[in-house]
Amino acid sequence: MTTASNLLAFLGLVVTLLIVWRQSWPARLRLFAAQSLLLAALASTVGVLAQRRGLVLVAAVVIVVKGLVIPRVLARIGSGAPVRPIAPGRSSGITLLVAGGLVVAAYVIMLPVTSSVELPTEGAIPLAFAMALIGLALCVTGRDALGHILGFLVFENGIFGLAILATYGLPGIVEAGVFLDVLVIVLIMEAVVVQVRREHDSIDVDRLRELRG
Amino acid sequence: MMLVFVLAVPLVGAALSWRAVGRLAATLHAVTAALTLVGALAVAVTVNRGEPLAAFDGLLRADALSAWMIALIGIVGALAASEAPRYVAHATPGRFYPLFHLFVFTMLLAVSTDDVGLMWVAVEGTTLASVFLVNFERTRASLEASYKYLLICSVGIAIAFLGTVLVYFAGIQQFGDEVHALRWTTLLRLAPGLAPRVIELAFVFLVVGYGTKAGLAPMHTWLPDAHSEAPAPVSALMSGVLLSVGVYAVLRFKPAVDAAAGPGFARGILLSLGVLSVAVAAAFLWTSPNYKRMLAYSSVEHIGLVCLGLGFGGTLGTSGALLHVANHALAKSTGFLISGRIRAAYGSAEIAAVGGLMRSMPRTGAAFLAAMLALVGLPPFGLFVSEVMIFGAGFAQGFAAVAGVALFLLVIAFAGLLRGVHAILYGPPVREPAEEAFGWRSALPVAAPLALLVLTGLAWPPGLADVLARIVAIVVP
Repeated sequence: MTTASNLLAFLGLVVTLLIVWRQSWPARLRLFAAQSLLLAALASTVGVLAQRRGLVLVAAVVIVVKGLVIPRVLARIGSGAPVRPIAPGRSSGITLLVAGGLVVAAYVIMLPVTSSVELPTEGAIPLAFAMALIGLALCVTGRDALGHILGFLVFENGIFGLAILATYGLPGIVEAGVFLDVLVIVLIMEAVVVQVRREHDSIDVDRLRELRG
Repeated sequence: MMLVFVLAVPLVGAALSWRAVGRLAATLHAVTAALTLVGALAVAVTVNRGEPLAAFDGLLRADALSAWMIALIGIVGALAASEAPRYVAHATPGRFYPLFHLFVFTMLLAVSTDDVGLMWVAVEGTTLASVFLVNFERTRASLEASYKYLLICSVGIAIAFLGTVLVYFAGIQQFGDEVHALRWTTLLRLAPGLAPRVIELAFVFLVVGYGTKAGLAPMHTWLPDAHSEAPAPVSALMSGVLLSVGVYAVLRFKPAVDAAAGPGFARGILLSLGVLSVAVAAAFLWTSPNYKRMLAYSSVEHIGLVCLGLGFGGTLGTSGALLHVANHALAKSTGFLISGRIRAAYGSAEIAAVGGLMRSMPRTGAAFLAAMLALVGLPPFGLFVSEVMIFGAGFAQGFAAVAGVALFLLVIAFAGLLRGVHAILYGPPVREPAEEAFGWRSALPVAAPLALLVLTGLAWPPGLADVLARIVAIVVP
């Protein structure tokens, strides 16, 4: 189980770094879907090896919600937006460097967790947390609504991965709440973005600058 | 059973009014709000007369702390509900009533469950239910406010989820996963054996996460926008009780953290965030050109004070903080309801656009003045008493420096708020005195909370001291 969970979490982190690197929206979207599928694989692996049947069900829900439905909604939000940012993008070298720093930070922050237990999955916990931190950074630095949502979803995936690795799955009512929550956030975001586009003729939220002080 | 009733009423009300229009919608709204208030008060009385209420195999549970919050949500909910028809009548009703009651339901659920996982789901639900209420007027500014609100609070609450996961992790590592490690009652029992470093890390995430929802600086940036752009009844609910629900979530974890990691850790975090919040509010109260934003920053200030009270701790600090939550809920919701009326009369929330309110709308002006004097903490209103309790605890527990700095900042905030209020009430009049519609239906939602505030300020109703003592026994073991 150690090998499998380490490998899957590592792949998840690689995909996260690719999301940081790529600028084209459809490519980032595909990477997000791939990340969700890796998460589902992680959940079902842990579920089978640790004999938690609930986790296999969770994996199925991840595939449907985060692998299919959410990427479809995101594609709908993104349709009409330019594929790449029109303004010349910042060099992704620096953001990748920051992401690397976040991976190190993740190991340091998760030290109390990994040193307090002997779990077969403990090596992968900092990797999942690094995914979450990079997602948070993407969300905070995102320049448009799409960037914000994608960052948030990567952040959420990282936390979800961490929950699977550290606890082998949360009680059902919480898991259900988390899925419902993510789905509703994305749908509300869609409604808001549609209105932003109608008002401002763009989804560049930098134009939302009326409220100050 | 009673607990299920108080939760079912707003939920059923929201479902029924989903398709209702016109007079039927307004009637459903009024009935739902009234029944919620009755149910909430009944729960509060029952819990404080006997044992905690529980339902669904302990998933729902209301002890004295929950009952305190349930009663507040019921009261502020009813005040806000009584003001809501003014706003809905002017615009297309949209989904205002159903979302309003859904919002109330999610807040009630957050404070009446024993499962900290379900509490997390409910707190997140408050954001989702209220985001369209913030954007109810569908202007550019309200759109921006709701976007910021959704994004910042969703990220914040995801951080709180991380904290919840770590708490669960610490629980099952120590005691195996057959225990209900997310049940608060279990958590509290097991707390002394939990890994202290993990719990400390979890608490940092929980404070940042739920602190975002509570409007603690520096995570408060969504708050002035959302509070100023939302229709007044929604601002009253958000400022009056939603912020306190965030504080409640942190408060639930505090005794467990104190038991696992020692009392110094949570105290340090709460005191620093408390002072920072009061400082940020003091600065922005001087510069804000908009009176609804001014009220919003005053909320940051008061939530900071509540955190200080919880940080100072002890019987005095904790009961002062809890009383302050209630006082602030009453005073701030009144302030927002009146500011909504002023805005409706003048068509602007800029301080400069509203001058000489005392002359043109004397009754509204007087009510506004009373609410503001209560908010800055002058006697005979209750906030004076709870602030004295909080600072008294600070000096008594040996945190004279922290309490002194906070007191100094409080004076700056006091002056800033009064300067704005003075400009509104006695500034150069911008319009002629007009007919002022201020009948008993307008007066009641203002007079009732102010009367309650005078009660908590001058003569505590019998039983209030007992109720506070019961809650303190829960959170200060």
